[in-house]
Amino acid sequence: MTAPARPTAPARPTAPALLTAQGLSHTYPDSSTPALRGVDLRIDVGESVAIMGASGSGKSTLLHALAGIIAPSAGSIVLNTPAGPIRMEELNENQRASVRRRDLGFVFQQGLLLHELSALENVAVALMLGGTPRPEAELAAAQWLARLGLAGLEQRRLGELSGGQAQRVAIARAQVTGARLIFADEPTGALDSTTSAEVLDLLLDSVEPSDARSGGRSLVVVTHDRAVAERCARLVTLSDGRIVSDEVGRGADRTADAAAGAQTAGERA
Amino acid sequence: MSAVGTALRLAPLFRQSPLRRGPADTAGSAAGRDGAAAALPVVSFAVVTTLALLVVAGARVFFSWDDELGLTYRMLAKIALALLLVPLGSVGASAARTAARRRDDRLASLRLLGATSGTLTVLTVLEAAAMAVVGALAGSVLYLALAPVVGLLHFRGAALGAQMWMPWWWIPLIAAAVVLLGAVSALAGLRAVAVTPLGVRTRQRPARTHWARIAAAVGLAAGAVVVLQILPAFAELGGVLVMIAVLGAAFGAGLLALDLIGPWVLRVAAGIKHRRARDVTRLIAARTILDDPKAAWRQVGGLAVTSFVGVFAAGGLAFSRLAASDDLDSAEQYLLQDIATGVLVTLAGSFVMVACSIGLNQAAATLDRAEVLVSMDRLGMPRRTMTDAARTAVMSALWVVSGGSALCAVLLLAPLLGIALFVQPLAIVTVAAVFAAGFLLVRGALLLASRLVPGILARPERVL
Repeated sequence: MTAPARPTAPARPTAPALLTAQGLSHTYPDSSTPALRGVDLRIDVGESVAIMGASGSGKSTLLHALAGIIAPSAGSIVLNTPAGPIRMEELNENQRASVRRRDLGFVFQQGLLLHELSALENVAVALMLGGTPRPEAELAAAQWLARLGLAGLEQRRLGELSGGQAQRVAIARAQVTGARLIFADEPTGALDSTTSAEVLDLLLDSVEPSDARSGGRSLVVVTHDRAVAERCARLVTLSDGRIVSDEVGRGADRTADAAAGAQTAGERA
Repeated sequence: MSAVGTALRLAPLFRQSPLRRGPADTAGSAAGRDGAAAALPVVSFAVVTTLALLVVAGARVFFSWDDELGLTYRMLAKIALALLLVPLGSVGASAARTAARRRDDRLASLRLLGATSGTLTVLTVLEAAAMAVVGALAGSVLYLALAPVVGLLHFRGAALGAQMWMPWWWIPLIAAAVVLLGAVSALAGLRAVAVTPLGVRTRQRPARTHWARIAAAVGLAAGAVVVLQILPAFAELGGVLVMIAVLGAAFGAGLLALDLIGPWVLRVAAGIKHRRARDVTRLIAARTILDDPKAAWRQVGGLAVTSFVGVFAAGGLAFSRLAASDDLDSAEQYLLQDIATGVLVTLAGSFVMVACSIGLNQAAATLDRAEVLVSMDRLGMPRRTMTDAARTAVMSALWVVSGGSALCAVLLLAPLLGIALFVQPLAIVTVAAVFAAGFLLVRGALLLASRLVPGILARPERVL
């Protein structure tokens, strides 16, 4: 008995993509084997995309390239921002850091927060780096922490938070700047199943379709956990640095519902 | 025996640092910086050995004089040695801590494979001792090169010259003491970290200073002041030797009081700076001190004594120059000049050692935070912000410690210093210049340590 074939991802709409990667290839300086081989990928506004693959398949390299953490050996990446399209391959290290700070959000496996700062300060720092004065940054950070269920824990330090709480702080930090694209690298890898589901819910809740009021927000999750991946709207599978499948995930219904809701709200407005 | 045997069998496998392995190490600046990180403990043990040999060689000259002023010179040499031993020990401990941080991943891997804590301890001590041996050898060579330069210093009207050469057997003796210091410090350093199968982390310690420490510090300081007030009585009771012993004890009590109260002072100052911080650099810098005031104190505490003594030195220097112009015999004139020279040499030596200690501690702290640095880089934090935050944390602690100690000394000597500034401004300016050079030296050490950051960020896969 064979498993029913999954539907492949539908043809991309004609509206401008949030991020487009074409012909991405990358070989690390100390390796002769390419980590990425000619990857094409488009991420639209309001999408949640899971990138899956075995260890060494190139999924983390793809995330790092898309996010401007590394400069790929070949290929192009265009990120559409409110200020206009940015061609990532044309930027130097400092300019890419500036894009990451301003336009992208990140959630890592261990949260990777500054352990000496409080939860509130860890979130506020993301805004302060962009020039927001501390009082305003801390006010916005407190609002995000409250929204993610951490009201009352603002002054706690990393060592005083559970793994799930620390990930919520990281999620708040990723969203507080208004980033339209959030990258999550194994965000539930260090959590138990219950907390993992809660954290994933929060990440998927951060996905917003484009509507009249907001620019929308998308999520790219790198995971080796199929259960996590299937909750996203798209599942992109990598093998040996190539995309071998691009399927619709269970989260597609959620995305469609949210988009319909946003459209209705837009029409009402 | 089994722990020692296992460690000895494993030791040859650990001769090369993981930071030095890998194809990328054959070329590239990042690899060069990583190599520098691995060489840090060896270089620091070399510096410790050189300084120790120069200090001992200088002290030997003073102890060789047995004329009527010999006792005074010997007493001055003892004070200088006491002042230099604290920062020297601090450099040794920093070198051992840096050495301990280097082998994190290997220790954690061994723990994962079931190695006992005994095996890890022996391995750590063996490796620190091995690095200390290499450093001590290099330091001995450096001493041979520098002794003629230090020999140009004039005491009692003549250059030290060939007197700076010690009998050859003193060199291996002092080198062995440095190796022992490295091994003991590595043991102490290991107590401060937790080796688990998942990695090596600095043990979390309560950040708050217990009130009993402050009470003890105040008690010790008050005791020292009282004893100093009645110092002549001790001379009458037991002679000069008893008076010197009591003076030494009072000095030791003062140092202990400083050590007890220092972290609390740093925490209070950092708390104020934290509330006022308006940018990320100052916020992280203040929080770094608040996170572990004792660690911050360990890094800069050596300068408290140097600064306190430095202000006394400024006064002493001024009055020795004043007195030197009066009708004194030549031996007394030389003594006053030599006090001035000794003060400046001791101050300069202290600053060199404090700068070495701070540079090493900062390098160890940078390696310790590699994972967070990589994550901050990924978030888009400018590299300048990361290095500035680390530098600001140390320099702000340095200003509090150095400024606080100097201020205390100025208050104690206010009228005398006022007169000295008026009649011998050059003496005050000389000491101030040594202070400024010392601070520049510390900044230079921090700059060197910050050069590890690009190396870490260039190879993030090594730390994540």
